[in-house]
Parts: sequence; C-alpha cells; structure tokens
Amino acid sequence: MLEAIKGYLSTNTTPGEAGSMFWATIYILIITIGISLAVICMNWLERKILAHMQIRLGPMRVGPHGLLQPFADALKLLIKEDIIPHDADKLVFWSAPVVVTMTSFTTFLVVPFGRTHAVTDLNIGILFMLGVSSLGVLGIIMAGWSSNSHYPLMGSLRSSAQMVSYEIAMGLAIVSAVLMTSLQTGTGTLSMIGIVDAQNAQQTWFIFKFFPLGLIAFGVFAIAMIAETNRAPFDLPEAESELVAGFHTEYSGFRWSLFFLAEYAAMLAVSSIAVTLWLGGWMRPFPNWLSGSAWNLAFSFVPALSLFVLAGMCLLGALRMPRIPQMRIQTVGLATFGSLLGFVGLVLLLPGVRERIQDIFWFVAKVAFFMYLYIWYRGTFPRYRFDQLMKVGWKVLLPTGLGVLIATAIWGLLPQLSTAILGVSQ
Amino acid sequence: MSLTPLLRKIFLVDLIKGLKVTFHYQSPSEAITEQYPLERPIVYERFRGQPRLNSNPDSGESLCIVCNLCALACPEQLIVVKGERNPATKRKEVVSWTYDLSRCMFCGLCAEACSTDALELTQDYEMALYSREGMILDQAALECGQEPVRYAK
Amino acid sequence: MTDTKDRTAYLDLDTKDETFLDATELVINMGPQHPSTHGVLRVILKLDGEKVLGTECVIGYLHRGVEKIGENRTYAMFNPYVDRMDYVASVSNGLGYCETVEKLLNVEAPPRAQYLRVILTELCRIASHQVWLGTHALDIGALTPLFYCFRDREEILKIFEKYCGARLTTHAFRIGGCLYEAYDGFEQDCKKFCDFFLPKLDEYEELLTTNRIWVERTKGVGILKPEDCIALGVTGPVLRASGVKWDLRKRQPYESYKDFDFDVPTGQNGDTYDRYLVRIEEMRQAVRIIRQASDRLPQGPIMAKVPKVIKPAVGEVYHSIEAPKGELGYFIVSDGSTQPYRVRVRPPSFVNLQALDKMVRGLLVADVVAVIGTLDIVLGEVDR
Repeated sequence: MLEAIKGYLSTNTTPGEAGSMFWATIYILIITIGISLAVICMNWLERKILAHMQIRLGPMRVGPHGLLQPFADALKLLIKEDIIPHDADKLVFWSAPVVVTMTSFTTFLVVPFGRTHAVTDLNIGILFMLGVSSLGVLGIIMAGWSSNSHYPLMGSLRSSAQMVSYEIAMGLAIVSAVLMTSLQTGTGTLSMIGIVDAQNAQQTWFIFKFFPLGLIAFGVFAIAMIAETNRAPFDLPEAESELVAGFHTEYSGFRWSLFFLAEYAAMLAVSSIAVTLWLGGWMRPFPNWLSGSAWNLAFSFVPALSLFVLAGMCLLGALRMPRIPQMRIQTVGLATFGSLLGFVGLVLLLPGVRERIQDIFWFVAKVAFFMYLYIWYRGTFPRYRFDQLMKVGWKVLLPTGLGVLIATAIWGLLPQLSTAILGVSQ
Repeated sequence: MSLTPLLRKIFLVDLIKGLKVTFHYQSPSEAITEQYPLERPIVYERFRGQPRLNSNPDSGESLCIVCNLCALACPEQLIVVKGERNPATKRKEVVSWTYDLSRCMFCGLCAEACSTDALELTQDYEMALYSREGMILDQAALECGQEPVRYAK
Repeated sequence: MTDTKDRTAYLDLDTKDETFLDATELVINMGPQHPSTHGVLRVILKLDGEKVLGTECVIGYLHRGVEKIGENRTYAMFNPYVDRMDYVASVSNGLGYCETVEKLLNVEAPPRAQYLRVILTELCRIASHQVWLGTHALDIGALTPLFYCFRDREEILKIFEKYCGARLTTHAFRIGGCLYEAYDGFEQDCKKFCDFFLPKLDEYEELLTTNRIWVERTKGVGILKPEDCIALGVTGPVLRASGVKWDLRKRQPYESYKDFDFDVPTGQNGDTYDRYLVRIEEMRQAVRIIRQASDRLPQGPIMAKVPKVIKPAVGEVYHSIEAPKGELGYFIVSDGSTQPYRVRVRPPSFVNLQALDKMVRGLLVADVVAVIGTLDIVLGEVDR
C-alpha cells in the first residue's frame, strides 16, 4: 500500500493522463475538501478583515477571536427551517442551488496546483473552465424563476445580465494571454498546465510580458472577475439596500448556504484563472533572477515560515487574552490551535515534504492574495448602479480587451512581420 | 481633457487613494470596540443614570425632607412621596417614596429641584430587569442602588 | 382602475402630474421597515420599468404627539421632550426651544451662556453631519465611512456626556441660559477634538470625493433648482447646494453668531454631489467656529434672571434657528398660564421631505435611496 502511494507520488503525470480513476477520485476528494475549508476560512477572514478595516473587531466570542464562527454559522444554517414558496416550481427550486454549486466545483477539475497536481490536464483546460462557469448563470436564472416572486426574478435577470456581459471581457483578456503562449514554440495551448509551462519556458510571467499589454490584460480580467462573481463594487443585485434583494431571497438554510458556497468557489476559480494565466501559477517568485540551488533552498523554507508566523500570532493572541476564568477555555483553545499550526509548520520543514509542498503553497498563496483583494474592495468602494455597471462592462472593458488583444497579436507577430517587411524591401 | 486628469483616470488614482485609507486602518490598535462586559465604558461624573436617595453618612438618616419638589418637577409625574411630620424633630419624615424607573427619561429635573442633596442621578447604567413591576423602586431599592450581575471578576 | 385626481396641484409644479395608476406601471412599496429609509418612512413608488414616475410618502409611523404633550407641561418641563424629536442632533432642538421661550419672556442669555451654547450647537452640527455622511455612504454601498464617522461622533458624545450627563438626549440648556457650568478642561477638549477631527475629514474626502464610483452615483442625481427650493420651502444644506445663499446664522443672527467669522458654503448644481460637498464644508466651518468660541470664552454668569415659575405674558412668538438639517422653528402661543397654549414645531426634515417627489421624477430606483439619504431626514422630526 505504502509502496503504491510512493510509486504514484513519484510519477510525472496527472491522474487524468495516467488514466487512474482511483487517484483521480482521491484528488477530487482532496480538492472538494480543500475548497470547503477555503470557503470556511474565507468566511472568517472576510468578517475579521472587513471588521478591522471598519475599525471594529469582528467576531470575538464564538471561539477565540471568532475562529469557530464559521462552524457556528454552518450549524445554524443546517438546522434552519426549510421554506419553499407556495407556488414555486419545486423541481427547479430544488435543483438551482445544485446546478450553481456543481458548476463552480467542476471548474476545479483542471486547476493546476502544481506541475502534476491537477485532477486532469485537459488540452482545452481554460476553455473548459470558462464554459462551465457560464453554466452557473443558468443556475441563477433557475433560482430566480422558480421562486415565483418578482423581486428574485428581477434580481436574477440583472445578475445574469451582468455575469454574461463581463464574461465577454474576461474571454478577450484570456485570449490575449493564450496568444502569448505561442510565442516561443509557435504553437499555443489552452491547457492550464501548458500555459504555466509556457511562462516558465519564456522566463517571464505573462503579467510582465509585452509591458504594459500583459498588465492591461490582467487589469481587465481582474475587474471583470469581480463583476462576474457579483462582488463589490458590482454587487447591486445582491445589495440589501436596494428594493430587489437578489435571486437568493426565497432560499433559506442549507439551500442558501449552497449559493454562498458556490459564490466563494467561483471567486476561488476565477482567481485561480488569474493566477495561472498571468501570475505564473505554481512558480515561486523570481525563478530566473534568483536562481540556483541556494535560492531554491531559501524559498523552500517560506511555507514553513509562514505557518510559524501564523502560529506565533495565535500564541501571542493567547498570551494577550484576559486572564479570567471565563476566558480560560478560549485561551487554551487558541494556544492549541497555534501549536497545531506550528506542528504543521514543523512537518513542512521535513526535506521530503519541503520540495513537494512548494508548488501547492505558492499557488494557494497567490490565490489568497486575490481573496484579500476581494475583501479590500468590498470595504472601500461604493456600489455601481446597474446601468453604470453595464456601461463599464460594455463601453470600457470590452474595447480595452479588444485593443489589448489586437496589440498583443501585433507585438507577438512583430519579428515575423519585420523580417517579412524588411526582407521584402531588401 | 488635459493630461493629468486623464492619467489619473486611467491609472485609477482615485480608487487607489481610497484603498490606502482602508488599508491603513486595519491594524488592531485602531479598533475602537469596547468588549462589554469585559471592558465596561467609563462614564463621567455628571452622567444621569440610576437615581439614588442619599442618606447622611454619619447618622444614616435619609436626607429627604419630603418637600415634594421633585414630584412637582418631574415631567412624567412618576415620583410619589408621602411623609408625615415627626413632632419630636419637627421635620417631615418619609413614609413611602416611589420612583417609576420604567417611565423615567433621565432628564435630571428632579435632582435639580431637590432642595437637599437627597436625590441624585448616579453613574449606574445597568438597570435592565425582567419585569415592569421590578422597575417601580421603593425607598430601600433607591438607597442601596442596584446590583447588576457581573460576568467578569 | 385609474386615479386621475391631481394630488399635487397645490404644489404648483411645472410638470403635469402623471402619476395616475396605469396597467403598464408598477407600484412598489418601500415599506416602513427598510434598511435605507432612515427610520420608519414608507415611500410608494410608481415605476415604469426602472424609471420612477412619481412617489408618495406615507409618514406618521413615529408620531408621538410631542406638540400635544407640550400643551400639558410647563415650559421648563417640556425641555426634555424637545430633544427627542431630532434625536440625532438633540442639542440644537433644545437651543431652538429655549431661545423661543426666552424671546417670549424677553430675556437674553448672558454672553458666557451664549458662547457655551454656540460651541455645543456647532459640535452637534458636526455630529449630525457625521451620521448623515455615514448612512448616506452606506446606502450608496461604501461600508466603511459609517464606522469612521461614528468614531468621530463618539468623541463629540463624550464631550456632551462630560458636560451635561447624557450623550444623546442631552437636555443641555435651560430657559435663560445654561444650567451646567463648563467643566474643567472643556475648552481644551473642544480644541483637541478640532485638531483630531480635521485630518479625519480629509480622509473622508480621499475616500469619497474624487472616487469615480461615488461621483457617478451622485453627480446629476436629484437635481433641485433654486426656484423649486424656495417654492417648496426647503432650507438648510439642500437649499444652499442649489445656489441660494441663505443661512439663518448670517441672515437673522441669534446667540452670539455675530461675533464669529465663518463662511456659508453654497453649491452650484443642486445635485447630490453638491449637497455632499456643502455639508463637508459646513463641518469645516463648524470647526472654525468652535475654535474661535473656545479661545474667547468670556467669564461671567451662565443663567439670566428668569422667574422661578415661568408665566409669560399672553402672546405668540415664532423663532427659528439653523439646525443641521435646515430651519428649525418653534411657534409658541402663550395664554398667560404656566403651560403653553400651543407649541408648534416647524421641522426641517418634514418640509425637505416634500421635495422628494420633485427630485426623483425620471431617476432610477437605485437613485431613490441616494436621494432620501441626501435630504438628511430624521423621522423623529418628520413625525414628532
């Protein structure tokens, strides 16, 4: 058994390519659990970070510094009464959250956490992700329609109109990144692992390629992905202070939590696209500028170090807790959590684990940075009105995306064009 | 459009300025939340809170001389004072003294009107009770004040 | 069913009222319980798709009969009730009432009391505008300015608490002057607050004034022309943002406002953005006044010679002040007894709210919320 695992871990292919259903299932399980854990973390992080930006503390009582708050919320949602509107279309009502959740989760099949750490490496990877996330829009329309109430219907129509319009801008930005993959080898690739390999081969992250075109394409995608996931400043369909309360008005309890899960999974998915396409996927920072085995060794300590930093913060927090009997259980809990993190950090120091965890750690760190940006934008910006939102999508992002695409194409072809022109003129 | 506003618009300068403000407030030292009941807010000396009937510190007698000025001054007429003249000391003594806390708006007119220093609005603000009847305070409750349940030592 | 009665004929507006019910229109109720209606206000909107064709406000959910109560209390006893009308800016309510009764009695508060009153009223103006800024930004979607504004308001409420004992329903002034003497360190506290507050105001401007999303949401939204303002009786920052330079502190100076040097900011277009700029500038001018007043606080008595039992002569008086929300007026009719015959309050929010219909015609639903926010209404005042 152990040899089978060791034997598998030393292979160089993804389970999809190797045709191994067993390992593919294991990877899918790990990814599903991972996304759920990530959503739980995001819930806590969002509440705490947003609270600190608003000079308040956020949850502090449910568990030390509110660490058990997501679990309390999940438990509350599970035991809530399941209300179905009277004349709702029951089958569609039931299946709408299922559709939205399943599409968000399915996009993770091709997300590469490392060179071989994806469930499968489809050679149309990015197209698959884009297509499946578009199916999520169908789920939103189903939710609005089946609620049999005109507020959710209007909300879902607005939400879907917004998502569809920003998908176009996203698509154009993605195409310009994909174009860049064909520069060295002459053949481009839509596969996610292939895109990161192309960045590796060309020795530059695509965000810096053809400066400033890569940056502008990244910017267009970064704005479009926020609108795609209905987050601030584009969250009018979900906002509470508007008349229309959004497509998930009539959903309560577990069904609503599925929508919530799907929204955060979609945020993670589009952030993964951004990371893979422009930020070098799983590659560590400065792979060429600071190259060599010494630098590799230095960077390999970063995962363990970051976990030690987190553990240190927990233990410091435990030290700072008021020393009264009512708070003792929270202090002990926080100290235990901190020691657990420290223990995981120690595990990450082991040489065998250190190499293997590199790719996954850098990928997750970059996606986490994007999640932080989401929370930061929510805390800072006011909301766009719906017509202004559509104006930004169609009149600003679409022309910019087109322009970047054409400019990238011309710049990419410049060597061939110039030899053709100069060659002829000579 | 001249160059600087155009550049400001393209490089999203206004949005980045806003992001800087919220970023700088994130440090936990800026948080102004007081975690009640672990940290109780400080109230200042003139705070108009729970009323109290003062007594003479030496003799323990109530300072109230039943002049009825507080009852006349109260906008809600929630003070009812009954007294009778004690022929020995030739002063009026309190028989019953009722204060309806549920209707009180803590305006302080009664404490202003009191001719001795008997009635005073103290700095106590934890006055929650489970029933309306408990809010009609009699003389004993007014003299010793309220003892709220403390959740932290 | 068509309802063709022209319900707004008395307003003399320039556009014909076309808000009769039609099958193609949608009538939506922005009910009393709503996150953005600043209290229990019910707005019935007639929409054509997303465009607003007309509105009708239903008020009275917070009516407590304050004016009726006034007929059954003595003049001094009615003072605490007045704070509870505009509960966000209770000090200015008290100021208006005390001044009106003093006008009826023909007494004037001594200079020290007047300066104290001005300092507290200007602090109250800043506090009221902070609530406005926080809630208005929250309605438009910016979640954080609310908390920053309430932090500044905390400092002001601390000063109120130190001075008179209560944070919100202050009952700070008495008829004839002030009851409470300025506590030790009052002037230092006010100056410290001014030094603390001005950089914060710059921060709010950084967060909002040039932010393109904010500008797009507020520029050109809810335009009110100066003629309409005057016709509807709108006062306060709403009037000044439309371009009319009318501030009761300058036009009919009361208290000791003549002694201070401050500007009255006005806008040009009368849209939401201008009202925002006018109120921010008003806060800066209020800081100026507080600084001048705390520097020059005169010594002396704080209470004028007022009889113990206040029994004004038979007569009536109307006196108004520049409250943070507009012209707050009191009309008191005295019949010679210790209790007034009639106390009528002219609340600024009530009159400003009537401009809502004029401002939202033709706007989208999302703008109605912004316009209600920019009018700065407090339902305690509207309903009394």
